[in-house]
Amino acid sequence: MRAGAAGRHVALRPAPAMSEDRVIRRPVLAAHARYRWDKLRDQHQLVFPEGMIVLNDSAAAIVQLCDGRPTDELIAALVAKLKEPIPASELSDDVQGCLRHLVERGLLRDDAE
Amino acid sequence: MTTLNRPLALLAELTYRCPLQCPYCSNPLELGRYRQELDTETWIRVLGEASELGVVQIHFSGGEPLVRRDIYDLVREARRLELYSNMSTGATVVDGTTLDRLREAGLDHLQVSLLDTDPDSNDRLAGTRSFDRKREAVRGAKERGFPVTLNVVLHRQNLDRIEDVIRIALEWNVDRLELANTQYTGWAFRNRAALMPTRAQFEHAQAVVERARSGEAARLDILHVLPDYYQELPKACLQGWGNVFMNVAPDGAVLPCQTAREITGLEFPNVRDQSLQAIWTDAPVFQRFRGTDWLPEPCRSCDRREVDFGGCRCQAFLMTGDAGATDPVCHLSPHHHLVGEALKEAERSDPPLQYRVMSV
Repeated sequence: MRAGAAGRHVALRPAPAMSEDRVIRRPVLAAHARYRWDKLRDQHQLVFPEGMIVLNDSAAAIVQLCDGRPTDELIAALVAKLKEPIPASELSDDVQGCLRHLVERGLLRDDAE
Repeated sequence: MTTLNRPLALLAELTYRCPLQCPYCSNPLELGRYRQELDTETWIRVLGEASELGVVQIHFSGGEPLVRRDIYDLVREARRLELYSNMSTGATVVDGTTLDRLREAGLDHLQVSLLDTDPDSNDRLAGTRSFDRKREAVRGAKERGFPVTLNVVLHRQNLDRIEDVIRIALEWNVDRLELANTQYTGWAFRNRAALMPTRAQFEHAQAVVERARSGEAARLDILHVLPDYYQELPKACLQGWGNVFMNVAPDGAVLPCQTAREITGLEFPNVRDQSLQAIWTDAPVFQRFRGTDWLPEPCRSCDRREVDFGGCRCQAFLMTGDAGATDPVCHLSPHHHLVGEALKEAERSDPPLQYRVMSV
C-alpha cells in the first residue's frame, strides 16, 4: 500500500470559508461518515476514513436525524424529544451552526443544493 | 508521566502480496521474508481484541487485501463489532461480485489508488495494465452506493498532470480525492531522487488545487497532503508514536507504524504470542517513542512538542541513522541540511525507478 494511509500525516483542507448566514435546508450525512456510540469511552462519535470527531449529546441527536429531511422537520423532531419543549425558533441558530460546522468538515451535505 | 490513550485506528495489513509494483510502496523492502500470513481465525481474534481495546476504525490494506479469500469474513466481523471499516485497494482484482459481497459484508468506505491519469503512465508505474480496471471498479462501486475516495500519490513523474487528476476524479464521480505527496520511507526512500518533485512543480500543483477547490471541484472533498521536504515544520506523524495507531502486519508483527521495520534494532511483538492489549500497554517498542519524555533537543524545549511529537521516526532514522533524532524536515533540526541536499540531488539526477515486486 502507499505510505501515508490511515492518518499517517495531516491532510490539509482549506480554512472554513462558509458564511455565517448560510442556511442548510436538507442535511444528509456524507456517505463516508458514520455515527457510532462508543461504549468504552462513553461518547458519541462521527467516524470517517481519516479519523473521527466526538459529538456532544445535542450534536449526536442532530446527526442522527440528518437523513435528507428538511431542517424544519429535523428541528421539530428534536423538540419532540425534549422533556420540556421549547419553541423551534429558539433551536434554529444552534442547529444551523452545528450543521454548518459539519458541512465545513465534509461530513454533511445539503441535499437542497 | 504520559497517560496511555486507547488506540483509535488499526491498520490491518492482510498480505504484502499485490499485483501492483508501485515504486513508492510503504511495504518493507525484503517482502519475501513475510510470506507466513496470519490465518482467518487469528485475524478474527485480533479484530475482537482491537474492539475491546477501543479501536474505532479498521483499515484493511496490504498489499492487495482482496487477494485474501477470507476478506469478506473479516469485513463482516468488523461490522459485527461496530467498527468503521475502510479498505485500500488497487482495484485490479475487483468485479461486480466482489463489490456486492463487500457491500453485503458491511464495508463502510473504499479507497482506490490511481497512479497516474495517463493510462500508459499509470500502467508503467503499476508494472501492470490496471488503468481500465480501476476505472471500472470505481464505476461499479459508485453504482452500488459505496463512498469512494480516489487516492493519487503525487511525485515528479505525475505532478504536472494535477489538472487531469482533478478532472478524472470529477468524471469518475468519486466522493473524495486524496492527493498525497509521496512520503519518503519504504520503497519511496529508495526511489527518492526519481520521485522528488521540484519546488516549481509542487507550487504549481498547490495553486491548481486551491483554484479547483473554490471552482469546478467545489463538490469534491479534496484532501491534500503536502510534500514535507518542502515544509519548514514536520508532520505530526501518526499523531505520536504509540498514541492512537497500531499496525498488524501480514505475519502478525505489531508495529507502531507500517514502515517501522525500517528502523533497525527494534523488536516487534507478534499477535501469535500476545494479546493486542498486552502489546499496546507493555511492549517496549510501543513505549520507545511514546509521549514526549524521550524527545531530544531542540524538540524537548519546543512549544510544538505536543503538536508534532518530533515528526516522523522512520524519516529521522532513514536520514540520520538515529530514530530518536528530530525529524530533519524541521528547520530547527541540526540535520536539516540533509533535506536541502536531498532536494539538490534530486534536481541534478534522474535515476530509473526501482519497482517493488511480490506478485500474488
